[in-house]
Amino acid sequence: MRARTARLTVWLLALVPVLFVLMGFGLSDLASPAATLNTLGRLTGVAGLALLLLAAALSARVPGFDQSFGGLTRLWHTHHLLGAWSLILLLLHPVLLALSAAAHGTDTAFRTLFPPLSDIATWSGWLALILMMIFLAPSFHFFGRPDYERWKLVHRLSGPAVILALVHTFYFSRTMPGWTDVAVWTLFAGLAVGAVAWRFVFSRRIGRLTYRVSDVEHPANNIVELTLEPGKRTLQYQAGNFVYLAPFDRELADGYAEEHPYTLSSSPREPGLRIAIKDLGDASRAIQDIRVGSKVTVEGPYGRFFKSPDRIETPELWVAGGIGITPFLARMRHLKALEEPADAYLVFCVQDEARAIFLEELTELADALPDFHLHMHYFYQEGPVSLQYLESACPDFSEREIYICGPTPLNHLIQRHARAAGVPLARIHTEEFELL
Amino acid sequence: MKKLTYTLFVAFWASVLTIAGLHAMDKKDAEKANGDELPAYTWDEIEQHDSLDSCWKVIEGKVYDFTDYIPDHPTPPSVMEQWCGKESTEAMRTKGYGRDHSPAAWAMIDDYLVGTVAEE
Repeated sequence: MRARTARLTVWLLALVPVLFVLMGFGLSDLASPAATLNTLGRLTGVAGLALLLLAAALSARVPGFDQSFGGLTRLWHTHHLLGAWSLILLLLHPVLLALSAAAHGTDTAFRTLFPPLSDIATWSGWLALILMMIFLAPSFHFFGRPDYERWKLVHRLSGPAVILALVHTFYFSRTMPGWTDVAVWTLFAGLAVGAVAWRFVFSRRIGRLTYRVSDVEHPANNIVELTLEPGKRTLQYQAGNFVYLAPFDRELADGYAEEHPYTLSSSPREPGLRIAIKDLGDASRAIQDIRVGSKVTVEGPYGRFFKSPDRIETPELWVAGGIGITPFLARMRHLKALEEPADAYLVFCVQDEARAIFLEELTELADALPDFHLHMHYFYQEGPVSLQYLESACPDFSEREIYICGPTPLNHLIQRHARAAGVPLARIHTEEFELL
Repeated sequence: MKKLTYTLFVAFWASVLTIAGLHAMDKKDAEKANGDELPAYTWDEIEQHDSLDSCWKVIEGKVYDFTDYIPDHPTPPSVMEQWCGKESTEAMRTKGYGRDHSPAAWAMIDDYLVGTVAEE
């Protein structure tokens, strides 16, 4: 419920500038079709900019801030939706104004869109919109799926786009009555600029902790588990959290100093961190060969997967797919370290035995934890997980808190089964890999 | 969401290109009323229309009667009233803070054109 309140607050905040604009409106703003189009054109501009600035404000990734949104992936989802609606409204904005001007002829409509070059206000708006189309095209797969690093690089154009959009608005001024114009936009701009300043200046200085690779294990040929020893400062986190990790090993074939999100597989009780990484892209493939002794930086923690990471308050069912086992492995290691009882069922779905990573340790942990049950599900033998399978593996599963972490199709499938068995949405918790 | 944004993205460029295309084909529009056949007024006559009851303004040598438009203008009537009966080109070009009126506003004033300023 708290996560919903946080999301709702953001959307209501976006309405504030719109309300101020509406306060300055009169009946004449709807007197004719042209006036109505003009009114809508101005409103879409104001609402679109408000959403853009809030999306920027949410991009800061301040550790802890994501908690009230139900974790960083949920926060990214809100950021993504804000960006989408901002683009939609800002695409409508100039077209509506031009159509409104068309009441005085196509020439006027044309000059509204393409005024003389000296018209800084209009051209800064144009430039901001073009930059938005460029940096949002990969996010919405306009031209296919982007790779992560290119997407991230292109997304940096959001900075100049936001600044140009602000120039556009401050130049036109008087979008709202009197002093409210400067006050409201300054507040929103402050949030956005503060977020970007955190991301690119402060987070690098104080947000990133230095660690050193002290051990490298290979639980499978395409998976590495790193053990990291802390430098001066130690990360405080909970089981199931994830971090952004950047490796600084010059010998790496790819991904030097690039940060990527990975789940921590260690118990917070351990002195160091453990991170299991599957080779899924260029950087995660290269990191398989990282050298012991090399430096990494860690920023976080993020995410809020488990409701009570330190104990099992109500019986739970966990469903993991492939490398999605990592948050559950972390929790099992943690419950064992705390000597807590663990009334939980783990259904671990993999393609075949060769891909049953960490199986030996999982079996040992399952035996050591009181009330814990481990079920392996092999896709090549049993096909997709069925509702009957879940019911036979875990007879009272519809009474349990359900946690799912794995590829999107598995995630959706288990959610469908849980809903069909009458599990309310509030008891289904998922951790998604895909941020786009 | 992806489909919706992509559709809008395509619709945006379709609309912009349509407006540009119509503009390219419709050059006749460029010939604006130049006020040749309209009556010429002296400054003495113009200066009498200096209130909200009858508000004339001079913009770039042409005389406009904005009496009926003032209630529709986005600002409170007092903003326009201070220019009634006066030379108002600067007000039109700068709105008082350095920002020109939109092309739509410039096109709209043609509807209120009543004459030219007589040469003295």
